[in-house]
Amino acid sequence: MRELVLIQPGRLLAGASERGDESSLAHREFEERLAECGPLAFRVAYGVLRNAADAEDVAQEALLKAYRKFERLREPARFRGWLVRIAFRMALDRWRSARRREKREKQWEPAEQRSSGPTVEELAASSEFQARLERAMEELPEKFRSVVLLAGIQGYTLEEVSGMLGTPMGTVKSRLFFARKKLAEKLR
Amino acid sequence: MSCEGYRDRLIDGLASGESSLDGDVTGHLRACAECKRFYEAQVHLFGAIDSGVQTMVNEAVPVSLLPRVRRLVAEAGVPRQAWGFAWGFAAVGIAAMVVIGVGLLRRNPENAGGVTARVPAFTQGVREAARVAPVQSQVTAAAPKFHTIKVKNVIVPNDGEARPEVLVLAEERAAFVRFITDLPKERDVAVALTRPATDGNDEAVEIALVQIDELDVKPLESSNQ
Repeated sequence: MRELVLIQPGRLLAGASERGDESSLAHREFEERLAECGPLAFRVAYGVLRNAADAEDVAQEALLKAYRKFERLREPARFRGWLVRIAFRMALDRWRSARRREKREKQWEPAEQRSSGPTVEELAASSEFQARLERAMEELPEKFRSVVLLAGIQGYTLEEVSGMLGTPMGTVKSRLFFARKKLAEKLR
Repeated sequence: MSCEGYRDRLIDGLASGESSLDGDVTGHLRACAECKRFYEAQVHLFGAIDSGVQTMVNEAVPVSLLPRVRRLVAEAGVPRQAWGFAWGFAAVGIAAMVVIGVGLLRRNPENAGGVTARVPAFTQGVREAARVAPVQSQVTAAAPKFHTIKVKNVIVPNDGEARPEVLVLAEERAAFVRFITDLPKERDVAVALTRPATDGNDEAVEIALVQIDELDVKPLESSNQ
């Protein structure tokens, strides 16, 4: 037996337009988050990689991932925290693979071509202290490093950092304390 | 307290970002020129660390970042579609794996373990049947080997043809086991059951239409009241 169902064309159209509205609303919301958090993702990635082009790539990838998961990340605080963590992790991955590649290349480089220290350009680009600070930062454990980087970004309080990392405020404070102490030890 | 102790306290204070010093530390700094120099050096060092970190992370954001992301987002489409595609892909993959797995199991009839794995409900049924309706001891003793052969020949097809699996009630399973156990006594039935069906077409059955010549509709008793 065939079952007949009464279909109201008006309601179907309304449903379609509701879906369209929902999609455009999600798009608008994402656009807001993008404008707010895009620079943050870049800065987090730059803090790890210290290369604008690489950091831009990482931020772009992280933002695209966030867009794909946007249904679950609509809450602004959640979105920001997730984005920061994913950008940091992706930047670390890229940094590690770059370091491995660099190591491999250096192994095959003839001994006379190996440079013993930074080039003239590198020295000119960053001061000696900055280079030492960067090295010291690289040696910090990830959990300390992420706190130092986020706390260093202008406009973010420790409370916001705690929210972004999903870590209690006390833990953030103690991590920052130990990280700064460690950095000072290395640079003294 | 020694100078070392004061210096440790100074460093802890600076690392935690405290702007003021304790009274006794301030007093010591006034009295000890060495520690005062150390303190000034540490203030300078922590200041340099802070400004260095800020230089690291507050790099100007490239203007191309947001337009690039917008373009990629436009190319990616609605996020839910991506999810739908991923789920669809996963479902197809799982279905393909199940079909391949079942096909591989059925293609290898020599594998005794495979036969056992194919008919777990049946073997369970044998155990249940033995519990529910125990048969004669001679039959039971001879049963296991004989039953395995019957299962291979009757239930599991050797041609690799995909057959749907059917869930059967426990009592039906037990009845089926009893039926299989009795099959050796009924050779003709066994042959008839294992022979493939003929490909004859079913004939159409015609049912005459029901004709109603007269229809008398009377009101219900309750409606008259």
